[in-house]
Amino acid sequence: MVAEMFPILLLLVVVMAMVAGMFVMTHMLGPRRPGDIKLSPYESGMEPVGEPRTRFSIRFYIIAMLFVLFDIEVVFFYPWAVVYKKLLSQGAFILIEMLVFIGLLFVGYMYAWKRGALEWE
Amino acid sequence: MVGTAYYLYVAAILFGIGVLGVLIRRNAIVIFMSIELMLNAVNLTFVALSRQLQSIDGQIFVFFVMTVAAAEVAVGLAIIISIFRLRGTVHVDEIHLLRG
Amino acid sequence: MVTVLFAIFAIIAIASAVLVVAHKNPVYSAIFLIITFFCVAGFFFLLGAQFLGIVQIIVYAGAIMVLFLFVIMLLNLRREVRLPIGRPFQVVFGIAFVAVLVVQILFVIYQGFVSRPLPEGPTVPASLGSVEALGQALFTRYLFPFEVASVLLLAGIIGAIILGRKKLPKEF
Repeated sequence: MVAEMFPILLLLVVVMAMVAGMFVMTHMLGPRRPGDIKLSPYESGMEPVGEPRTRFSIRFYIIAMLFVLFDIEVVFFYPWAVVYKKLLSQGAFILIEMLVFIGLLFVGYMYAWKRGALEWE
Repeated sequence: MVGTAYYLYVAAILFGIGVLGVLIRRNAIVIFMSIELMLNAVNLTFVALSRQLQSIDGQIFVFFVMTVAAAEVAVGLAIIISIFRLRGTVHVDEIHLLRG
Repeated sequence: MVTVLFAIFAIIAIASAVLVVAHKNPVYSAIFLIITFFCVAGFFFLLGAQFLGIVQIIVYAGAIMVLFLFVIMLLNLRREVRLPIGRPFQVVFGIAFVAVLVVQILFVIYQGFVSRPLPEGPTVPASLGSVEALGQALFTRYLFPFEVASVLLLAGIIGAIILGRKKLPKEF
């Protein structure tokens, strides 16, 4: 189990070491001569007005939420696609059950569409 | 090879931390996160016992728990947003009137 | 090797779970929750459930955390940051209750597994936890829950859209 996962683990370690190394090296090697102009957020742009944390539109939330629900739907497709060929030899039942599944979610999709949840006013 | 009992210990501790979060935090979103923590602890128990019992059933249950969690998060956060719109807070001690 | 990985994941998972509950700022809580989710995915890999580990990362650490961060940004919780924890007696009772609960669960696990070990150690076949084994069970024995899951997702879509609207239009 771990033997076959070893390359992934190695990649993970190398990536983490690389990122950490980049942070540490730039911190140590880079020259640091801060000045008033250098420290301003936009050196030759407008001065920022107000706070960075402001509320943004509810539209973003509805899109993100629909993404989560359809993401779960897609996760169900992976095991289905893997066993599809094997179970299809025993009859078309596996095709029908997935069609029912997609059909029910398509109702939800049509509802979201008709309700205007996908439109950006 | 780590014994099943150790996974169950970790899951129990994670579950306890989740319960603690629900009990002592007063921010509705953090309470929600603690519930997710508890669901994850239970998932870990399912998978550990699925290996112990040599059965795929536990992993199927985890799959459905994840589905339920996603639907729950979507609807729950929508409820929190509409409460915030109505009352201007997500502090659960201030949401004590049954009629909004 | 596995033992070392398990120890690393366990320490990180428990430490970041404590920080989820203890940190004042909900944004940091969400970040620590992501770390905990990744550690649980690591446990799934160690237990041989590769597919569930991937799903854990895709669904939990990806999608659900995006949603949490969205809501935190949406609500603009500057005032809530000030009052994070409940009253002192709530904290004391909460910790006492949870300590009792966790000790009980740990004792039961100890009774069941360590003091009376199973006759033979589990040997994991490589096929358990593969996508194929999971799909085989999901689309034959667990057919009905699978279809009910689609109804649940449908309810989730409709409920979230209705609750998420600013105001209900009259014609619907």
